[in-house]
Amino acid sequence: MIIKRFAVSAAAAVLALSGGLALASPAGAASCPSGEFCVWENANFAGQRANWSGDDGWWESWIADTDSSWANHGISGPGIKDHVRVYENSGQGGDMTICLSPGQEVGYNGVANDRGDSHTWAMNC
Amino acid sequence: MRLLRAFGAAVSVVLALLALSVLGGCATQTGAGRDAAALPRTERERDDLIKAAQQVLVERCLAGRGLSSKGAVGERRAEGMDDAADRRLQGALFGRGRTELSVTLATGYTVKAHTDGCLAAAQRELYGDERRWFRAEVVVNNLRAETGLRLKDDPDYLAAHGRWVHCVTPDHGPRPERPDPAVAARCDRESGLGEVRARLEPALLDRVRAERRDQLTTYRQLRTRALHRAADLYAERTVPENREKGSSPS
Repeated sequence: MIIKRFAVSAAAAVLALSGGLALASPAGAASCPSGEFCVWENANFAGQRANWSGDDGWWESWIADTDSSWANHGISGPGIKDHVRVYENSGQGGDMTICLSPGQEVGYNGVANDRGDSHTWAMNC
Repeated sequence: MRLLRAFGAAVSVVLALLALSVLGGCATQTGAGRDAAALPRTERERDDLIKAAQQVLVERCLAGRGLSSKGAVGERRAEGMDDAADRRLQGALFGRGRTELSVTLATGYTVKAHTDGCLAAAQRELYGDERRWFRAEVVVNNLRAETGLRLKDDPDYLAAHGRWVHCVTPDHGPRPERPDPAVAARCDRESGLGEVRARLEPALLDRVRAERRDQLTTYRQLRTRALHRAADLYAERTVPENREKGSSPS
């Protein structure tokens, strides 16, 4: 538990530069800042949430391989990378597990649960 | 900031492209008997045109609710947009409450979306049938992910993956949950996993695409519909202005 708290705190410090970290409630629609991609450690958008407006080739240890629900709240526009590809390995390596367009979300998946390690924004899937 | 600049530049490109098409005599007659702008030639330009039209429709819808998505990105986001304001924007843009659209993929993911937000309204305007579009888009967007899942049934892939796992695992310790990206990339090469994936993936992807050809056909049909609708929307916005300018003595 102590180790996990430390990891979360460290992650919060790092994510403050390029992403976000928050506690989310499971009620209703996924609460994910506009323009960002969000990943939760629990199903149905519950528990700790990581959110990014950019790419991350190496998710922090507290969310890597503990991801359980996902939402893309990217803002679309011409020339804008608004699709999100999630990969099972760091550095956008290994297989792509899911690709989401803006407005799409996944509350839980038994196969993909706890598999994500990195993601990238793209023009398409 | 990067996103706003890209948006502005792309809109200019799309508007210029369509205006030139219309003014240059490239307009065509639609079934309705009125001029329509010629379509962009490249997929990238077509993608930009649909996204530009969608952006206009979304902003029009949000404006009706006293909101705009333009504050959600760029400098204002970096400065810390008010959380309550962003929650209102999220609800108006992406929808609220329970999701109405749902598709379960072969990979096991159940992808969902709302129909009550401005994004859904814009897509209804462009694609016509939102349920058919949602299903086709989700399936087509994840053909590569489905291919990746099937790769795991191939014995060559499994053997190479076993070598990869051995490669990323330290001599004295458990397999790391998140190997360093540089180590993972090196092991991709040394294990042959990258080569095996590159060799097997094209044929497998072709097979998946063949099995999902109905959704691919729907995807293409509805995207073409959206493209024409987007071109019409921009023609409506630009042609009267351009004709007026063209008739001006100055």
